[in-house]
Amino acid sequence: MGVDGNYKWVGKRTVRPDGTDKVTGRALFSADSSMPGMLIGKILRSPHAHAKIKSIDTSKAEKLAGVKSVVIGKDFPNLPNKTISIGILAANFSEMSDKLMARKKVLYDGHPVAAVAATTSAIADKALSLIKVEYQVLPHVIDVDEAMKPKAPLLHKKMITVGVDPAPTKASNVASRCEFGFGDLEAGFAAADVIIERTFKTKPAHQGYLEPHGAVVSVAEDGQVTIWCSSQGQFMVRSYCARLMQIDEAQIRVIPAEIGGGFGGKTVIYLEPVAMALSGRAGKPVKMTMTREEVMRATGPTSGTSIDVKLGATKDGKLTAGEAELRYQAGCYPGSPVGPGAMTAFAPYNLENVKTVGFDVVVNRPQAAAYRAPGAPMSEFAVESVIDEMAQKLGMDPIALRELNAAKEGTTAPYGPKFGPIGNEQCLEAAKNHPHYSAPLGPNQGRGVASGFWFNVGGESVASVNINTDGTAVVLSGNPDIGGSRASMAAMAAEVLGIDYDKVRPIVADTSSIGYNDLTGGSRTTFASGMAVCNAATDAVDQMRTRAAKVWDISPDAVEWSEGHARPAGPNAGDFEPMSLADIARTSAKMGGPITGRAAINAQGAAPGFGTHIVDVEVDPETGHVTVLRYTAVQDVGRAIHPSYVEGQIQGGVAQGVGWALNEEYVYGDDGCLQNTGFLDYRMPVASDLPMIDTVIIEVPNEAHPFGVRGVGEVPIIPPLGAVANAVSNAIGVRMTDLPLSPPKILAAIKNGS
Amino acid sequence: MHDFAYHRPQSLEDAANFLRTAEDPLLMAGGQTMIPTLKQRLAAPSDVIDLAEVPGLVMIDVKKAQVSVGAMLTHASVASSPEVQAALPALAGLAGNIGDMHVRNRGTLGGSIANNDPAADYPAALIGLGATVHTSKRQIAADDFFTALFETALAGDEIVTSVDFPVPELAAYMKFDHPASRYAVVGVFIAKFGTDVRAAVTGAGPCVYREAQMEEALTRDFSPSALADMTISPDGMNTDLYAGPEYRANLVKIMATRAVEAALKGGG
Ligand SMILES: Cc1cc2nc3c(=O)[nH]c(=O)nc-3n(C[C@H](O)[C@H](O)[C@H](O)COP(=O)(O)OP(=O)(O)OC[C@H]3O[C@@H](n4cnc5c(N)ncnc54)[C@H](O)[C@@H]3O)c2cc1C
Repeated sequence: MGVDGNYKWVGKRTVRPDGTDKVTGRALFSADSSMPGMLIGKILRSPHAHAKIKSIDTSKAEKLAGVKSVVIGKDFPNLPNKTISIGILAANFSEMSDKLMARKKVLYDGHPVAAVAATTSAIADKALSLIKVEYQVLPHVIDVDEAMKPKAPLLHKKMITVGVDPAPTKASNVASRCEFGFGDLEAGFAAADVIIERTFKTKPAHQGYLEPHGAVVSVAEDGQVTIWCSSQGQFMVRSYCARLMQIDEAQIRVIPAEIGGGFGGKTVIYLEPVAMALSGRAGKPVKMTMTREEVMRATGPTSGTSIDVKLGATKDGKLTAGEAELRYQAGCYPGSPVGPGAMTAFAPYNLENVKTVGFDVVVNRPQAAAYRAPGAPMSEFAVESVIDEMAQKLGMDPIALRELNAAKEGTTAPYGPKFGPIGNEQCLEAAKNHPHYSAPLGPNQGRGVASGFWFNVGGESVASVNINTDGTAVVLSGNPDIGGSRASMAAMAAEVLGIDYDKVRPIVADTSSIGYNDLTGGSRTTFASGMAVCNAATDAVDQMRTRAAKVWDISPDAVEWSEGHARPAGPNAGDFEPMSLADIARTSAKMGGPITGRAAINAQGAAPGFGTHIVDVEVDPETGHVTVLRYTAVQDVGRAIHPSYVEGQIQGGVAQGVGWALNEEYVYGDDGCLQNTGFLDYRMPVASDLPMIDTVIIEVPNEAHPFGVRGVGEVPIIPPLGAVANAVSNAIGVRMTDLPLSPPKILAAIKNGS
Repeated sequence: MHDFAYHRPQSLEDAANFLRTAEDPLLMAGGQTMIPTLKQRLAAPSDVIDLAEVPGLVMIDVKKAQVSVGAMLTHASVASSPEVQAALPALAGLAGNIGDMHVRNRGTLGGSIANNDPAADYPAALIGLGATVHTSKRQIAADDFFTALFETALAGDEIVTSVDFPVPELAAYMKFDHPASRYAVVGVFIAKFGTDVRAAVTGAGPCVYREAQMEEALTRDFSPSALADMTISPDGMNTDLYAGPEYRANLVKIMATRAVEAALKGGG
């Protein structure tokens, strides 16, 4: 082992263990589980953006034949209004419960107000139509800048902005203010020869997972709860359900289904507690699945934003100061990712004077949920656009300007800590030297560059490695496999154990079969859970070394493990025939019983990731249509445990980022209701919209991880927004600041020249 | 979806009979529009009559002056037919750019024109080429077939069987597709038959139409420059989540100009 080693399995393109089932359709996703006697649960949703619930009459629905239970807000426990942390997450369960099922007010179009469980889907639909809700419609607010105005309709009458000193006396839609930075901005801007100030806007974008939310929940007569669902964390589902429904965690078993995409959007729950309430009342299991329309109306996209950036530089390209104000839509309750947005905005740069201020603002929209690198794509889009413009004003190459000011080992990050070894400069250099960067451009074509930064996180993970008597191993870990993590876990275990990859079977265990794991998010799984798997495999190896030592009657320290064998460590240890893992496993009954390696850790030392992207576009000057011609994504991943899935993560992030930049947007009517609730009107890019996305993997190992892993999944969605906007701006000669860059918008910009 | 009776008649006559006798019948071709409308509860038919096994509706007959296409021919079949590609490349190209591969493999000529979506492509070809629609009862000139938004001249118990497309001297279709559905935000079909030029516009208005001033200008001079000074009024043009009337009016001119260029180069 060791971060610089030559590996047999790590870094190889092995076949993924879950691949066949997913290709043949055998894999079970959330809607695929069924139980005898199972009911179908459905949700009645608010047709208004903002309204007081005057009354709900469910009596007719309850009397309908085939209806087995009906629940409304008052059927859920009321919980203390305070934020508590669970692992890497923080949650206010009073608010979460109100989002699951509205109590006094509905706060967005699609907010649940009642739910039914019935013997068939048609009866459940009929029952929903029989529920009478009397609303008093209230004025609503959708846009973040509007919501911050003094006269804006208030979502929460008592909400006082947190983080302002002295605390405001009047309620507003601004939930909180945060601030990061250091230095002397005034002096910084005074030292600048060029100052650029611009305002940017981005629209909410949905994660666009193909699998809508779904769950099957069984509440047994003795109160034991079993949940089959797809999520980014079975333990997250368990923690949330236990607290929301006020029962013990030990009574809930969450069995993770395969997940058809999450991208952050399945780090929250919508259906499970509702199905619990319905199942508990009906005494039967309940299945609930969302339609795409429900997914679009009522699950969290990422925030829409409005951002001001001010950047100063000397005429030879030294950045002297950077400042940004970020206003993020939280949705109906506080919780936008403005904090990470404000922390990451200027992170690729070494700035002596920097300040970012963020506002978390409630609006009448569904609660924002995490979306790959929550908060960062928007803030970095704004900054990367201004960096590009600065390079133009200074007559510098945009990568050269970035290199001159690049954050590197020892640079103080704008959010406080000093960076350790990072790959920012390596990414910039690889981008600069890539043939793409010097390829000629044709008429109406433009090239854009942008960098991206994400923290990556660690957190709590448990893994066990069971050695079977035939010399194979089963690896248990507790994170849903979203992007090929089983393959990475198996590769790392095989590497540590020294056995073949196909002798290792990785399993995603349920909440009653393994200890607590934080969810799959923050690019933590291959880093933190991977570290747990490595440690568990090492624990198994240690046990096997000890057994060999016993057989040979030497000290365990005199036994080394290599290529799957216990061997005497050097001539002094004695002359013994090496024992293979299979040899030791075969005799385990006589040698102390089964061999199980375990690890339970709170992984420390997560290391940030950087990336630099280059994109070429062609703009049709007569229609404003953009064609993406060529895309190259360079990223430091620490170590690519499985290069194919690293590339897949990068390509997927780019595709989503390009969609965000060019097409995707939520369209609300004047009534505050969402108008594009399906993929026919909400356009995510498909393969035919994109060129092949070339990837360049940089490996600056993270010393904290046994194989050097940093994390991959989030960085690649950050640069595309800025890169594409820069490319379009360069193609048409007009700076584009308002995403998405739809053809009508581009055509208008070409015509107006601004 | 609500329950309905499903029929798969084996003759045109039987199919027409179901249309006459069932309480609330609905024909099904490839189901590409029909099934989504059922799912969205926009239609709740008592009887669904699947045309899949009605004989004679899946045919292509290419003659020198005319291409005939059966109502149940899928877009993919039209697009990939070597005969159509050779005789009327503009039509093959149009069919090959409808929706996505899945839609092209199921969607049909008959379903498309019977539905008369304001953004559909085929109506532009029918109008642009002056086609003739054959039904279970009669023949209808394309100019009389598309009557209004989602409305056609078809009677309730009438079934489209085929369409005859005259082969022009030059033709091309150009569309600006919606980024999600690939329907035409605006599509323009230009065809030249000797001295006669037809210019059909889809996507821009509530129903496919002929743009008279373009036809006149192109009759005088069949070249892109003939359209250069033309202004297209946005009055009455569609607006949707994607684009407004002004943007569409601009597209009508751009797509027409490009169609003329393409037609002069051999069509497509
Ligand atoms: C995602 C998507 C994208 C699409 N993109 C495009 C596009 O880019 N361009 C485009 O032009 N179209 C597009 N379409 C429409 C598609 O091409 C089909 O032509 C259209 O949906 C009709 O489908 P169908 O042939 O399966 O007919 P069905 O859906 O089965 O039927 C449609 C209607 O026509 C009636 N009907 C069917 N056959 C006959 C007949 N022979 N006689 C009388 N009435 C009949 C049916 O009763 C029904 O009312 C798209 C559709 C989808 C779903």
